[in-house]
Amino acid sequence: MTARRWKSKAGTRAGASCALLLLAACSGRQSALDPAGEDAETLALMFTVMVTAAAILWLCLNGLFFYVTRVSPRRMSRKLANGLVIGGGILMPLVLIGALLAWGLSILPDHDQPGDGLVIRVQGEQWWWRVAYETPEGDVISANEIRMPVGERVSFVLDSHRVIHSFWIPSLGGKMDMFPGRQTNLSLRADEAGIYRGQCAEFCGASHAWMAFEVEAMEPDAFDAWLAAEAAPAGPPDGGAEAIGRQIFAREGCGGCHEIRGTEFQGQVGPDLTHVGSRHSLGAGRLGARLEDFSTWIAHTDDLKPGVEMPPFDHLPQEELTALAAYLKGLQ
Amino acid sequence: MRKVLLTLAALAGLGLAGGAAVVFLGLYNVSAQSGHLPGVAWVLHTTFRNAVELRAMPPDEVPDLFSPDLVALGARHYATACAPCHSVPGEARTATIRSMVPEPPRIEEAVAEWQPNELHWIVYNGVKMSGMPAWPAVTREEEVWPVVAYLAAIKEGLTVEEQQALTAPGEAPEGSPPGAAYCSGCHALIDSGVPRLDIHEAPFLLHTLSEYRDGIRQSGIMQQAASRFSPAQLEELAAFYAAMEPTGPASAPPEAGAQLAARGTGDVPACTACHGPGASEARGDFPALAGQDEAFLVTQLRLWRSGERGGSELMTQAAEDLDDAEIEALAAWYAALPPAKGPEAE
Repeated sequence: MTARRWKSKAGTRAGASCALLLLAACSGRQSALDPAGEDAETLALMFTVMVTAAAILWLCLNGLFFYVTRVSPRRMSRKLANGLVIGGGILMPLVLIGALLAWGLSILPDHDQPGDGLVIRVQGEQWWWRVAYETPEGDVISANEIRMPVGERVSFVLDSHRVIHSFWIPSLGGKMDMFPGRQTNLSLRADEAGIYRGQCAEFCGASHAWMAFEVEAMEPDAFDAWLAAEAAPAGPPDGGAEAIGRQIFAREGCGGCHEIRGTEFQGQVGPDLTHVGSRHSLGAGRLGARLEDFSTWIAHTDDLKPGVEMPPFDHLPQEELTALAAYLKGLQ
Repeated sequence: MRKVLLTLAALAGLGLAGGAAVVFLGLYNVSAQSGHLPGVAWVLHTTFRNAVELRAMPPDEVPDLFSPDLVALGARHYATACAPCHSVPGEARTATIRSMVPEPPRIEEAVAEWQPNELHWIVYNGVKMSGMPAWPAVTREEEVWPVVAYLAAIKEGLTVEEQQALTAPGEAPEGSPPGAAYCSGCHALIDSGVPRLDIHEAPFLLHTLSEYRDGIRQSGIMQQAASRFSPAQLEELAAFYAAMEPTGPASAPPEAGAQLAARGTGDVPACTACHGPGASEARGDFPALAGQDEAFLVTQLRLWRSGERGGSELMTQAAEDLDDAEIEALAAWYAALPPAKGPEAE
């Protein structure tokens, strides 16, 4: 085998695996091409139409170019040449792109359209999300996860604490920037129940890439039940390990930064942990939410998320970390 | 021209050889018995005077020094750190000290020619090659003011009786460990600016004293105090104060600090989670703050905020976003609470 042939074979392989990777990005819980909501549906349609139109335009222009330079390269009258340049090079793209633009603008989702009632405020932090559900009885505070009812348009009111972030749930709709001291709005509707993934889409510091969140679109009844449970204070520790974990939580001063409603822990610096045990991820999408993920996160925060404000509690022995994890996982 | 250059080079060579002979052959007599050669003392003293005048802060930056607590703290620190060389009103210097070159002046003479801003410079910086040491804590320039306040009182003509009243030993009941009278002299007798010890538990007190002793935590006053005792003695002292039952008045805690202490803000952790009152569990190295001295708390929070306090990365982070008003509100709130032992106390 010559070097050249080998190279070309390797190239084909690399190309094929790239294509596979690209295809893999078309589906899944964080893909604008696998829509699960009204706005994402529109955006995906727009994307498909735009790409198709662009492909047609490209083929027509290059086809014409190929025809006049290779297939039938003969002299043309000045009139015909000018006509081709003006017609095919200016008028045709103008009409086609103008039509696409007008159509695109006409169906572009209105990020500010009124919702069906539920308002969720989200504030960007470095590098996590402060979440508040507005209810007639007052705000229900949560963090790093969003739950919303299927089939209802939800209004998101966004801002940020220190730097610019961007709120994006690709499966449900477009992105919206979050600014310190300024409020922006985003309106989204989920049409299919499921768990999706959101991601900060504006570079915001060392752990920008680790600033994600889970979104669960639930049937309206299930959502109402969940919101009622989320509004309730935390229950007492259930069992020996959990009670020991609660003592360690108090002893290490965790309540200085974290609130667990219904206890003496009232800190506001970090995420609210009242029902952290029921969330799908830890550290803003950094880890899963199994028992061992809790102790891994607590002991190694800075390795998992460079620059994070929470100090690593790696001075705690493993059995204490496990007890802490049991207490937190028990906060359902 | 060549001749001139050669002559200059020869002279320079001779000078170098002479200097080297003095250094390496020990020709200069360093004996303190013989004192300085004529004129040398004048050169040194004039250099010292002018150097201090050039570097001292402007007089209008001097804080208010007319506070009995400031004078008392200064007097008690001076009594162990400075009096051995400079003496105090009504006492004599030892014959040994008087044989130093240069001889340390009696304090009444020493302060006569200086203003408070200059005294601050001298006490903080010390004076090279004179035997006058620098303030042991390089980050605590503000801590020198009590000493300056005391020196200003001497300049005003502090009497022997006043001096004795200022440094009277603190109460030390029977069976108390050595040093208790000395510690209580400041910690029990001075009203403001000095922390109370009876609210603390032994591990925290010992931890703090060891940090002072090892220079991890800086304070010219407390490093001096802690380095006077052996580790075993420090342990006894910590146990002695930890065994005390805190008493004292409480006033209505101001509203402003309550919320901040219990909940903190988005940037500031809640103080009560570690420092109480009412922490359900607390580590031995987290101090209780209920009933602590207000001025002391303000000073410490400022040191934490500036990153100069040392000893806990967590507290540096916790305090870095406090503003002056928040520091004052927190200090006032904790100071007004009824004093109680340990962060767990309600």
